[in-house]
Amino acid sequence: MTFIILLLGLAVGVLVGLLGVGGGVVLVPAMVYLLGMDQHLSQGTSLFILLPPIGLGALGEYWRQGQVDLRAGILCAFGMLFGAYGGSLVALPIPSRHLQGLFGCFLVLSAILLLRKAELDERPTVARKKSADE
Amino acid sequence: MSETIGRDAGIFLAAGLCGIASGLFGIGGGVLLVPLLGLLFSFSQHRAQGTSLVALIPPTGALALVAYARSGFVSWRTGLLLIPGVFLGGIVGGKLAEKLEPRRMRQVFAGILFALGAWQAFSAWWR
Repeated sequence: MTFIILLLGLAVGVLVGLLGVGGGVVLVPAMVYLLGMDQHLSQGTSLFILLPPIGLGALGEYWRQGQVDLRAGILCAFGMLFGAYGGSLVALPIPSRHLQGLFGCFLVLSAILLLRKAELDERPTVARKKSADE
Repeated sequence: MSETIGRDAGIFLAAGLCGIASGLFGIGGGVLLVPLLGLLFSFSQHRAQGTSLVALIPPTGALALVAYARSGFVSWRTGLLLIPGVFLGGIVGGKLAEKLEPRRMRQVFAGILFALGAWQAFSAWWR
């Protein structure tokens, strides 16, 4: 079991670096289905994992390539700190079953947003902008 | 100048929204932040991802974690075991991201998210 958890962490880490996300979005369902944990317990544990700067290694790679907007990043950190507390107050009283369903809906919505972004990238203006960034 | 302030305020608000999702679902919020930075503020994909990683450096979920821990919803052991792998994997992923075609990569990820989400909602409400 310990080995499975270690491997799971490594797999999620690759996604963190590849996509610039925290990994919780994959970790929570993985803990629910692979480790058989309760929805609330998975979410709390996921927040614990995000406490140390696990994305620091990945950030170094992006930084070297000049793909970081520091000012926007700092603003986002503050926004997320307070937003996250508000979100947790909403989540805790919700029964686990409904929370799991809501989580599923959130994933579907995120997938749609990601696809929409993928389509926009096909436009030539964005492609030009990208090459200008490089 | 006022344009910069407007943009800053917009980014702050968008991040606040991501934060609510973060506390509500126990995630980092990057999954929402990356597409929002791209769609609303026309960040390139790589830049949105790098900036999202900056936002994830400080413990933005700390307040939410305290709330979960108070209710006993944290498995400390599982968390400790996951952390080293996520860190090391992150470096590998960051190097890979340079080489891969981002659009295809994101389509695959969106597909995985969609399937996972549909499965979670289905098993919660209709099983």
